[in-house]
Formats: sequence, structure tokens, C-alpha cells
Amino acid sequence: MGYLVLALVAGLAAVERKGFLQAMLSRPIALAPAAGWALGDPAGGVVVAPPLELLWLGSVNLGAALPVHEALGTAAIAGGAVLAGRALGTGVTPEVAVLAVLICAPLALLGRKSDRLVEIWNERLSNRAVAALAAERPRVVDVNLLGLAAPFAIAAVLAPAGAAAAAVLIPRLLRALPSADAPLRIGWLAFAAIACASGARALRAREASLTFFAALACAAAAGLLLGRVPR
Amino acid sequence: MSPPSATPTVPPRVLAHVFWRSLFLQAAWNRRGMQNLGFAYAIEPALRVLYPEPPRYRAALSRHLGFFNCHPYMAAAIVGGAIHHEERVAVGAEPEALPVRYKEALQGPLAALGDGFFWTALRPFFGALAALGALTLGAPAIVAALVLYNAVHLALRLGLFLAGHRLGDAVVGEIARLALPVAAGRLRVAGVALCGFAAAAVLVRGDVAGGAGAAALAGIAAGAGYVALARGARLLPTAYVATLAGVAAAALAGRIHGGL
Repeated sequence: MGYLVLALVAGLAAVERKGFLQAMLSRPIALAPAAGWALGDPAGGVVVAPPLELLWLGSVNLGAALPVHEALGTAAIAGGAVLAGRALGTGVTPEVAVLAVLICAPLALLGRKSDRLVEIWNERLSNRAVAALAAERPRVVDVNLLGLAAPFAIAAVLAPAGAAAAAVLIPRLLRALPSADAPLRIGWLAFAAIACASGARALRAREASLTFFAALACAAAAGLLLGRVPR
Repeated sequence: MSPPSATPTVPPRVLAHVFWRSLFLQAAWNRRGMQNLGFAYAIEPALRVLYPEPPRYRAALSRHLGFFNCHPYMAAAIVGGAIHHEERVAVGAEPEALPVRYKEALQGPLAALGDGFFWTALRPFFGALAALGALTLGAPAIVAALVLYNAVHLALRLGLFLAGHRLGDAVVGEIARLALPVAAGRLRVAGVALCGFAAAAVLVRGDVAGGAGAAALAGIAAGAGYVALARGARLLPTAYVATLAGVAAAALAGRIHGGL
């Protein structure tokens, strides 16, 4: 049942991402908690959401360019982390989260390739509408909505498949290598840190380097000095 | 080209229907016509009202099945403006080619404006804001950021649609008054600062969870990662290297010192 729900969430996110609305609901920051919520662990989704959002902050459709499919990657990662955390009985810990990223992130690249296939499918729909109009058939442009089917189906298949792989592999890895817990926690920190750097780069601001490092240094110094830990 | 005071003939209910359908503008995005099918799908209810005669309706729909590509939010202004012109074409006040010329003239500049403001400034800014909020305050910060973003997004999208319909060509002046490029520049700088704050939050968490060594490692990952990406390194391989290097460094430190 969990996989079906994840398939539905991933499919809807893939539709919202480009075909309908684009209201940030398919961005990692919204989708990961939604996927976690759909699987019964919204807090687990919130653990992975911020680094994934920052990692893929620059993943946007500019003109005809195809970005990585951040929604597909996020649905698989969040779903895999939640399901693996449930299997372990620990919930989504940093070590579970980092392994879910390492296993499922390439799906975002696969999703980009699938987007090319979707465009070919959509071109056929466009041609069909033009031909139907010439043949004087009614409601010819309603085939526009069929363009939502392929992205939905692709994400609804690939995201649960990725999550299933993570849900099987992560508990086995962590049980086989209990000493890896501490290094993996540090690995999650390193991943989150580079995700922040990726976000800063994606914004392409003037004086971005200076702004990023100054903000990092000042906030880190203040946080360390005050000893206050944001949770 | 046409006076903004001309009486509209598409009723508000149909305009609302067109606006709703404009949210599906990219449903069948393709390389040849790009948003052509989505545009025709969006404007079709208005054309049905304006052209009750089947041949004229088909001719109107056919001209909107031609190539079209714009930013999906900014396209709302063009959908509204195209209806503005079609209303005048329907009563013979303008030539049939004018709606298409209007679309051709505006789609490029508005695409650039929309990409520059919404996709590379406003949305990343709110993404960074939500991420920092989630790291420091938790889930309610995500909800707040999304509500705020969509209040801006939907207000602008609907406002552009209505302005396009009301003003036609003069919508360009309205859009220029928004000074979106200036706002975009400021949002980008603020977004970068938010990413820096988020990196600091990660670093402080590392200090608490693993001590000074973990915090230092997070700082190094952020700094070296930024430099590598600035030099053109590919994102996912760089992220994998940073993550696995962190794991390896911690494992090594654990062996040598019993912890990082």
C-alpha cells in the first residue's frame, strides 16, 4: 500500500512540476515532507527536504533546456528513507538519509532522459490536434491533457522502484556494518553542506562568493559562540 | 494598436475558465510547437464564445496552434492579451493576423523576464528560505514559505492575465512598472545569504553532533564544494565525492582517535 501511495504522490508531483500549476509543490522542500506524510512519517521527509531543495535549487526549466528531474529523485529518496527507517525501527536518521541519497539520487538523471521521451510523445499529441482540427473534429485541443499522462506514469513507476531498492539495501547495509553509523552521520553533514554551496551557486548573484562565505562565517561564529543549536 | 477602452465581449465566467486552463499551458510541451497545444487549449473557451460560426472558430483555433513559448507565469499576460485582440478581430475591428503578431512580439521578452525573475530569483529565494526555516524551525516554516510564495505567484499570474485582457498591448507598460529585474537582483543576493546561513546551521549541528572536527568537515565541504562548483564541476558527482569523502574522513578519524 505504501508503494502505491508513493507512486501517486510522485506522479502528481511530476505533473505539477511542469504540466500543471508550478506552485513549488513538486520542489524537494514540499515534496519530501509530502512523501513522508503519505507514508506515515512526515518528520522523516522534513529531515531530507532542506538539503535536497538546496542541492537542486538550480533545477529549473529555462527555455528548452531540460534540468534533472528533482521531483523524481526527491520522491524516491524520501520514500526510500522513510521505508528503510521504518524497517530498522529508527525512523529517518542521518545515516539512513545519506544512504537513501546515495542510492536514489541518480534517478534524477534518469528522469531527465525520460523527459526527452515525454517531449516526443507530446509532439505526437500536437500533431494529432492539428490533424483533428483540419478534419473538423470537435474538442481537438483537449488532447493537451493527455500530455500529463506520461510524466505521471514514469514518476509513478520509477520513484517507488528507487524507494524499494533503498528500503531493501539500507537496512541490510546498516545491520551488516554497525560501525558505519558514525561515519555516515558525518557523511550526511558533508552532503548537507555541499547542498548549501550548490544552492548558493545556483542563484548566480553578483558577489555570490563574498555573500555566501560572509553569511556562513558570521552565522557559524554566532551559532558556535552562543552555543545555540537550531533544531 | 487598439484602444484599451474597447468593450470586451468574453464574459467573466469564460475568462475564469480560460485562466484555469492556462495553468495547463505546458501539459503537452514539445520541441516543435513548445506550448502551442497548451495555448490553444487555454484560449479555446473564449474562441468558442467569440466565434459561434464553425469556420471562423476553426480558423481562430488554428492560428493559436502555432508555435508558442513563454514563461508559464508570464504567459498569462499573453493569453489575456490574445483574448483582447480576438475580441476585436471577432467584430472586424482588427485584422486576423494581429493576435498572432501580438503573441510573437511578446513571448520572447516576457519569457526572458519570467525566467530571470521567477525561475532564477523568486522561486530559489523561497526555496532557500524554506530550507533554512526547516533546518532551524521545522515544518511550519516550510508551509509559511510556500504560502507566501504562492500568494505572490498567483496574485501576479492572475493580475497579468487580467491586465493583458484589459490593456492588450499596453500591458507591456504595466509589466515594466513592476521592475522585475531589479527585484530579481536583490532576491538572488538575499538567496545566496540564506544558503550561507543554512550552511552555518549545518556546521553548528555538526559541532553539536560530532564535535569541532565534524563542524570543520562540514565547513570544508561547503567551502570546497562551492569552489569546485564555481569551477564547473558537475553537481551530482561533486556531491557524491564530498559525501563519501566525509564518510571516509570520519571512518579514518574513528580508527585513529576513536572519533572525529
